[in-house]
Amino acid sequence: VRRHLPLPIVVLAAIGGVFVSLPAIALAARAPWGRMLEILTGPGARTALRLSLEVSLAATACALVLGVPVAWVLARGAFRGRAVLRAIVVSPIVLPPVVAGVGLLMALGRRGVAGGWLDRLLGIQLTFTTAGAIAAATFVSMPLVVLAAEAGFRGLDTRFEQAAAVLGAKPGYALRRVVLPMVAPQLAAGAVLAWARALGEFGATITFAGNLQGRTQTVPLAVFQLLQTDSDGAIALSLVLVAISIGVLIALRGRITGTA
Amino acid sequence: MRRCLLATVVAVGALAACSASTSSGGAAGDTAEVTVFAASSLTAAFNQIGDDFEAANPGATVAFNFGSSTDLATQISSEGTADVFASASGTAMDAVEGDPGVEDRQDFVTNQLVIITPADDPGDVSSLADLAKPGLQLVLAAEGVPVGDYARQMLDEAGLTKGVATNVVSNEPDDAAVVAKVESGEADAGIVYTSDIASSDVNAVTIPDDQNVTATYPIAVVTGAPQPELAAVFVGYVVGTDGQATLERYGFGPPPSG
Repeated sequence: VRRHLPLPIVVLAAIGGVFVSLPAIALAARAPWGRMLEILTGPGARTALRLSLEVSLAATACALVLGVPVAWVLARGAFRGRAVLRAIVVSPIVLPPVVAGVGLLMALGRRGVAGGWLDRLLGIQLTFTTAGAIAAATFVSMPLVVLAAEAGFRGLDTRFEQAAAVLGAKPGYALRRVVLPMVAPQLAAGAVLAWARALGEFGATITFAGNLQGRTQTVPLAVFQLLQTDSDGAIALSLVLVAISIGVLIALRGRITGTA
Repeated sequence: MRRCLLATVVAVGALAACSASTSSGGAAGDTAEVTVFAASSLTAAFNQIGDDFEAANPGATVAFNFGSSTDLATQISSEGTADVFASASGTAMDAVEGDPGVEDRQDFVTNQLVIITPADDPGDVSSLADLAKPGLQLVLAAEGVPVGDYARQMLDEAGLTKGVATNVVSNEPDDAAVVAKVESGEADAGIVYTSDIASSDVNAVTIPDDQNVTATYPIAVVTGAPQPELAAVFVGYVVGTDGQATLERYGFGPPPSG
């Protein structure tokens, strides 16, 4: 049965939809379409795009390697303080990125709690380096992997693992050969979301890793800097990010909200 | 809870109605708010001036929007909510003068550059030439940000552009960010305005006048300002004796004579 939606809801939904889509439309309307290819293949934009790709992929890999075990512990571990641990691990999602950046500076900066130690003992400096940009992007994107993977682990019937154990599989083997393949769709969705978040990361990166072309200046930072000097370039690069964001969400449709 | 929410909504509504009525009226005795867009290098001095101005003009409040002058110029052209623009460069003011236009433009203060280092000066920096030491980690404000452009101009005139090129580890969005990176010890040195360091814990390495660049700051009332009269009063206060004394205390120099 097809029902009419109440008018006020339709009106509010229309306003909401326009509000959220207008910036993307405005960017597209202002875009220098004729020079788009020239701008995006220019040396400045290419450097930023390549660096963004490297940083976001590396951050996604780190987020998976560290985030999946965290999710496993949260899903299967029975210990006090699990809710608190989950809240802490997931908090970067809601933390203002600049706060994340300041926190990372205090923790991993040259004079930071752990960073000072890294610097003195190993000679590793994260600030002002690509590794620092990757660290910042990992910090903000890992929660998305954790949430997706934990949901996957929780949705899995533990009898599969029991069956594997009965058949003689060690826990590590069972995890690798039984559990992970079964939650692969959730892991993939989490990884793609984490990648998109890492790609868009700005505040933590500029605060912690700084802004230097070819080293830490990812596409969002390049957009920010181009706004000072070349708004056409800023708009062109912005549109790339808009297109990727929307593309990712279309590709993932249903995986995030649980609808088909 | 619901009642509380309702009260908040009513209060916010009343406030909105209030400010709407004052912006249309703006007569003496009313409360009125002047919105000042100012270069981030003016933050500390203007916050003080704002307090003093409010004390001297009962009923008047000052709302500041601090940021890079270039960004502010873009915002003023697109938003039109600014009453006063105080810029760290003539170029940014020129942009606003072109669109939407300004009135009563005058240079009100000057600023010079200074090298800053962390309290323990790990890079052992005592002159401009030291910034080219191999391996020194130098942060500048980005190109297009006035203090960053001035710093590059100065380095260029000193013949150091090439020497420092590989030492620049970050192009920061504004001078406050440069100070933060140096104050925290992440970078070995930075170049900012003398006015940036009044309230921070960094070493200052003075740059001789013959190598230094002097930045001249213009201030003006923005054409189409919601509060043009109060805006003019505020500009008058900044260029007046009290405003100038405060600016001097925060490390600024007097405007160029003539």
